[in-house]
Formats: sequence, structure tokens, C-alpha cells
Amino acid sequence: MLELVTVFGGPPFEPAQAERPVSDPGRGEERELVERAKRDPREFGALYDRHFQQIYRFVYSRVREQTAAEDVTSEVFIKALKAIPRYQDTGRPFAAWLYQIAVNAIADRYRSLRPSQPLEDFHDLSVAGPALEEQAAQRDEIRRVWAIVEELPAQQRMALVLKFQEDMKIEDIAVAMGKTQGAVKLLIHRGVSRLREVAGALRPVD
Amino acid sequence: MSGPHFDPELNDVLQDPELLRLAGVLSQGQTPAPPLDDAFKSALRRQLMDMAWRSAEGKDSWWRLWLSPPRLSWIAAAAVVVMIASVVIYTAAQPPGGFNQVIIESPQQDQSSVALHQPILVSFNQPMDHPSTEKAVQITPATNVDYAWNGDAQLYIQPVSGDLAPNTQYQVTIGPGALTKNQQPLSTPTTITFVTTQSTPAPPSPSPTPRVTTSLLTNQQQLATIPSAASSSPVWSPDSTAIYYVGPGGALVSVPAKGGSAATLVATGASLPTIDPAGGLLAYVRAGKIEVLSLKAKTTDVIAPPFAPTALRWVGETLYFGTSEGVYSYKDTTVRRAGIQNDQAVNVISISPDGLFAVYQGASSLFLLDVAGGGNVQLGGSGAAGTFQAWSPNGQRLVYGNIIADLHGKTVSTLPDGEVAWSAQNVILLGSDTGIYSIRPDGTDLTKLADGTFHAPVWAPDSSTFVFVRGDALYDATAPTAKPQASATAQASAVVNAFMSARRDNEPDKARGYLDDSGKAAYGSGNLALIPSSDLQFKRFYILVVEVDPSSPNTVRAVVRMVFGKDKQEKSAIEETLILQRGQDTDPFLIDGATASAPRDLGKGPNVVSVKVTGSQLVVTFDSDLLPNSVGGVVLQDSTGAAVQVTPVYNDRELTFSGLQLTPGARYRLVVQPTVQDVGNRNPAAEYDLDFVGPAAEPASGGSAPPPAPSPSPLPTPTTVPGASPIPTPTPG
Repeated sequence: MLELVTVFGGPPFEPAQAERPVSDPGRGEERELVERAKRDPREFGALYDRHFQQIYRFVYSRVREQTAAEDVTSEVFIKALKAIPRYQDTGRPFAAWLYQIAVNAIADRYRSLRPSQPLEDFHDLSVAGPALEEQAAQRDEIRRVWAIVEELPAQQRMALVLKFQEDMKIEDIAVAMGKTQGAVKLLIHRGVSRLREVAGALRPVD
Repeated sequence: MSGPHFDPELNDVLQDPELLRLAGVLSQGQTPAPPLDDAFKSALRRQLMDMAWRSAEGKDSWWRLWLSPPRLSWIAAAAVVVMIASVVIYTAAQPPGGFNQVIIESPQQDQSSVALHQPILVSFNQPMDHPSTEKAVQITPATNVDYAWNGDAQLYIQPVSGDLAPNTQYQVTIGPGALTKNQQPLSTPTTITFVTTQSTPAPPSPSPTPRVTTSLLTNQQQLATIPSAASSSPVWSPDSTAIYYVGPGGALVSVPAKGGSAATLVATGASLPTIDPAGGLLAYVRAGKIEVLSLKAKTTDVIAPPFAPTALRWVGETLYFGTSEGVYSYKDTTVRRAGIQNDQAVNVISISPDGLFAVYQGASSLFLLDVAGGGNVQLGGSGAAGTFQAWSPNGQRLVYGNIIADLHGKTVSTLPDGEVAWSAQNVILLGSDTGIYSIRPDGTDLTKLADGTFHAPVWAPDSSTFVFVRGDALYDATAPTAKPQASATAQASAVVNAFMSARRDNEPDKARGYLDDSGKAAYGSGNLALIPSSDLQFKRFYILVVEVDPSSPNTVRAVVRMVFGKDKQEKSAIEETLILQRGQDTDPFLIDGATASAPRDLGKGPNVVSVKVTGSQLVVTFDSDLLPNSVGGVVLQDSTGAAVQVTPVYNDRELTFSGLQLTPGARYRLVVQPTVQDVGNRNPAAEYDLDFVGPAAEPASGGSAPPPAPSPSPLPTPTTVPGASPIPTPTPG
């Protein structure tokens, strides 16, 4: 059985981040940057500047420890630099490829390292609700639901994180996880269904 | 509270309102900004850019690289630092009175694998007089060179032929005749010693380190759920489009390889499915009997064997099955092919692809049963634990545990641990709880394909797709196209290099691992010494010629020169002729025989350092430049000792015999007579002979091209010696 933990008082609330470069419309510019980096790896710096924050944030959200996040992020970009000459543009954002490297790097690390920070502390929220009581209830539910996510099987958990935390499209998640879109949909469906089973009691009373 | 989620993708995936509501809840959680050390971000960027610059060095032409502004400034800065450091150190070491000693250095000094396409760089600690310095240079082996100066303190010595000779120890001496700009002579001569590499990259080691990559698998998908305790392997249709597997309750199910709906063919109780090569008949065991389902006619025949079948195998149109007491075949009637003599319970586990052999589990170990002859051999010795894994597609090899054995039960090679699938293209998959690898049966080309859980892999007949079990599900995935198997000469060269390296490094046990029984006898007591013992040190070796026996593609002959010396002086050489053999082209080569020449003194005239043989051409490379009018002393003889009447062409240390019609398999001898003379007017102390055989008419994969293949190129490439640099814009000497 999963243990549901209710934790109030996490990090300060933050507004939802608008920055979602995976869906960045500036694909033409990015493609040009990638092509230049493929021809000359010294051009890779522009891609690094563009994607560092996003990958670091994602990695940190998974490993929850600054030193580990730095190690994994370094590994991701070093691997990306080495592999960029072989990168093939499949029409998907370049970040999806970086996520793929990151997902694998995190999986490698997870085999020997469990997150040290309590999982339920991590997912904060921004709620534009009318009443403070309602906001508190929503925050509570979000934390509980994300706490359950962290107990899901690894593949389901990663699919939900990429979808709901990283706001990625299913076809980009498929790239990042090395799966078909159908498999990703199945993982998401199973993951959310499992949430419903475990968190059935969480349904607020209207 | 949270309303339904409006992501169209999720509406399609989740549909149910409650699931969509939960999706909405999930979407509202936001990760707070993580703690970030800006210094880390900057340092990582610097590290990446540094790597990128170093990587780009291998791509750009040398002149562009060296003349590019950042590089130039770094060079200048480095040069300044080196100069300042040199001055400080030198000044501190000197007695009062100032600079009175010329210090000579070279980045190539004492290097052991200097690339061929670079000049010899000599650096002085003070300005030198060009004419006297050039005149004071002596080079061994005798080599025609050009000189170029970078200022007055860096001298570039470039062979006129363009490249340095392969496999050669160079000694460049700056004699006392060299004067500084101030007409100060050298106090003592200085010698720069280094050894060049082969002209082509060394073949890969026979046991490469696994490459760690991200997943190389594509189209990975889940096909179906299966019982976690399923004991029957899935079966591919011969056209690789469908998979048959035993599902829950013993249901026999088919599913398209590209995914889709599963179809139940038999409701319950089936096991050991196997399909005939034509793809129309599916045999399986049910209730102790064999049922043969015609997939087209949808009819089922039932065979009632005398004992419960434990293994099934189609061989053409004949169905073989094994029981606790023998192996049977069935076409129109049941015929027993071989009985098992036993007084204990046994169990036939698998029948070979040709039906000629079977593996059965005895009381304490596995046995290999000769179905035709009736005999058996124990696999792995008494009490050896081993699990049968797979047959090679040709039925000539089997894998149990991590051992590949031949049909005599003899170990051929050893694999890393893993669950084995052997493809028709001779690529082996090794699945495990933590990842999947591919490897060649001879132990080469070990490649990590992906992380994750991969149990019970089974290749499709097309050798590109495979199924595997993960948890309670059956998946398939596409493996990357295997790179072509290395040629026989490349594989044999790798074994020779590993064998010789072990001997040089004084590792006799490791070296012995590359010998078969007769090879061990060749290096046994009273014969050749595995670890040479003499006053001289075994310093290095290189392959002079390696060729496939034209009449036996699995026999390779290699001539290896072993160089002995003391300190920096190479004194003598022995040539060993090794015969390498393997049972079939998926086996690793082992050294089966060896002979050695008498020791020959070095440093006395020109040496042959590389020989390239094709059916129509012989290219002989010397370590020194020859006097063209003396090359008539290099003769090619046939097996009767008669000279082959072809006039060779000499150019840049290479002597080329063209228009030959060498007879495949016939013996030939290259003779270098003492009349041959290098540009230093030195002759070999004695005649040098090198025997070889005429190669196959059309060398293909596994042909007879030796690895040392000098191919001077007109353009310089970046150096591989740290600090060495190609010639910058030269100034007249």
C-alpha cells in the first residue's frame, strides 16, 4: 500500500512559469543553432545557454539535491556535445533530445541514489482561486497527488512528470523516453488511473 | 475546485472526467526555482567550450587551426610562458656567467607511437645558426629531409618522401658542429629518439570496453501481457511479422510484430510452441500430446508420443521432439532417432536447428546428445551448473551459461553474463535486469544497446527486431544494424597484438590464453620462449605481413617482428611466423603454431618495415631512403627460388612490384640482398628473407590485405604528439 503523506508548509508559492521552451515556436532559429553546432561543436554554447535552465530545473526536480543535479546536468550537456554531430532533426524540439539524455542519466543515478529531500515538499503551486480556504484545500490536494505520483512505477512517474511538470507534448515525451506515442499514452493513462485508485478519498466534497 | 483538463491530447488519452480532473490537479503543481550556483553554470559552459575546441582540432585543417586567432594567441601565450619558465629555470640552474649551454628538446622525444604525417620538431633554448645546425643533423635510419625554421630556435625536419616511415625507431642527433647565432658550439651532441606508429590504426582489442550510450533501440513497444512464470519462449513467424507466445492459462496467442490485437489460437494448456520453416504449421504440446495446428486450414492433428515431449523443433517438414528417454522425429510416422542411456531422470531441453544434436539435463549437469550417432558428452564437467541458452543458427555451436561450445562440448569462447539470443546475422544479444548488450560470438564488438530490464530475448528471423520480457509483459524492439564483421586479417591481427602485448608486458598466463593446444606446445619447454629471456629487453613488436590462407578462410598467417634492445638502443630483431586458426568464422582466432627466425642485428642498413601483398602487386616499405641504383638487390622469388621477372619501381622508400600474377597459396620469398644501400651508404649486414603466400585472387572481406599500409598523403594532418606542431610558414634555412 502506498503511504499518503500530508505536508503543509513547503517552499514559498510561485507563479506558474510561462517559460516552456519545449513548445518554443522559434523552431527555425533553433534549427539553425543546431545545424551550426553540428558543423562546429564550438557553436554548442548557444544551445547550452538556451536550454541550461530548463534541463537543470528538470534534473533538480528529480534528484532533489544540488550537487547531484549539477553532476547530472553536466553529464547531460557533455553527452549532448559529444553526440551533437550525430543528432538528427526528426521535427521534434531539440529540448526533447536533451530530455532524453537527462531521463537516462537520471535513471542511471536513481539505481544507486534515492532522493534525499522529502518528495512531497517539492511540488508547489500557484492557485488563482477566490477563497483562501479553497486555495489551501487545493494546495493540499496537489501535494497529495504529486506525492502519490512519486510512488508510481518509474516509467509512469516519468511520463507524468514530463507531461504535467514539464508540459511536454506526448510525441516529445515519446522521444525523451524512447517509446512510442501509444506507449506514452498508455503510461499516462495508467498513471492517472492509479492516482484515482489511490487518491479516491481525496476527491473534494462539492 | 479543479475543473476538467483542456489539453486536447489528454482529453483523447484520459476521456474519463475524473481522470481529467486529476490531470488538472497535476498541471497546477509547479516546481519552485531550484538553487543554482551561477559559478557552476559558468564553469560547465567553459568546460563544454574547452571540449568543443579540442574536438574541433580534429576536424579543421592544421593551418586553419593554428592560424586561427584564438589558437594563435594561446600558442603565443603558451610560448611566452614556456620561454619565461625556461629562462627562469635555466637562469637559476646556471652559474654566474649567463647562457653558455644549448638545450635541445623535442615533443617527440621518447614517444612510442608517433604519427607518420608530421615533421620532426627540434627546439633550441637560444637562436641557432641555420647552416651549421642543419649540417650537424644526423638521422637514423638514413632519410632524405628538408629543413624549415620557425624563427631561429625551432627547426622542423621533414622527410622528402612526405611521411615518416612506419614501425620505425628514429634517432635524430644534433652534433657538436651546430653553432648558436653567437657562434657558440654545442657542448655535447643531443639525440632525440622516438618510434613511429603503424600506417593504419591498430585493430581493435579483442575485448573492447562496452560503450555506454543512450538507448540504441528503436520502436520499442509493449505487445502483450504474459504470465511472469512463462517457461516457453515466444516464437517468431518465419517472415518476422508475427509472434506466437503462451499467454495466461496456457493460451497460445499470436500478436503482430508491429503491435495490435492479439488472437488466441488455443484457449488453454499449450506449451513449447514451434513453427515450421514455411510458417504454416504450429506445433505445441498439450496434455502430454503434440498438436500440429495448420494456420491456414485451421485444423489440428494430434500426435501421441510414447513419452511426454519436453522439446520440439521443426527441421524442414519434419517435427523432432525430445522426451525423457530419447529424441524422435515425426513426418508421417514417429521414428526414434536416438535413445538416452540413463538410470536417472533426464529431460531433453532443446534440439539443434538441424535436428542432429540435442541438449538434455542429466542429474547434475547438461549433456550434448549426438542424435545421429547416439553418443553424448557432458557440458562443463561434472557438477558444473549451466543453463542451456541457445544454438547458433547453423547448429554448429551452442551456448550454455556464458560459454559457447562446439559439438564436441569444447569451449570456443566465453561471453559476458546475460540471457542469450543468437541472430541469423551472428549477433548475440545479452539481456539482463539492468540492460541489454550486443556482442559478436567471438567476443568482439560488445555494445550496450539500452538500460532497462530485458529478459528472454528472441531474435526475429530478419535479425533486426527482437522480443523480450519485462515484468509481466512481452515487448519488441528494433536493434541497430550491426556493423559488418571485421575481416579475418583484422580479427587475427587483434589477437596477435593482444598476444604480443601480453608477452612484452610479462604476462605469460594472459598470453597463453591466445594459444590452442598445439600453440601451447610450440611455446612449450625446449621450444619458443613465451617470455623471452636475454640481456636485451623485448621493447616492441609490429606485424609485417598478415594474410589469409587462400585454401582455408579460417587460417591466417602473420609475420611479427619483435624488437629487442637496451635503454634507448634497439639492438636486434626476431621474426615469428604465427599460424592462427578458428573452427568457423564466428569463433575467435587462436594461435595454433609458431616458428621463429634467428636474431638479426639492427642499425646496420635498411630494414623492411611493411609489406603489402595483393594478387597483382607487392609493395615493400623500407625504414630508410634507398639509393635508387641499388634497389635491384631486392628480388621476388617463387617457390623454386627462381626470380619473378618483374622490375620494381622505387619511390619514397617504397618498392612496388606491379603486374604480378601470384598463384594463390603458392610460396614466395622477398629477398633483400646486402647490395641494397641506403642514402647513408650503409648496407644490410646479411641477406634478409621474408616468406609469404600468394593471396586469394579477389581479396574480399577476410582477404589478405595486411594492416601496415603506408599511404602518404600530400596534406599534413594535425600531430598526435602533445606539443608537436606541423611546420608553420617556413623561413629559408
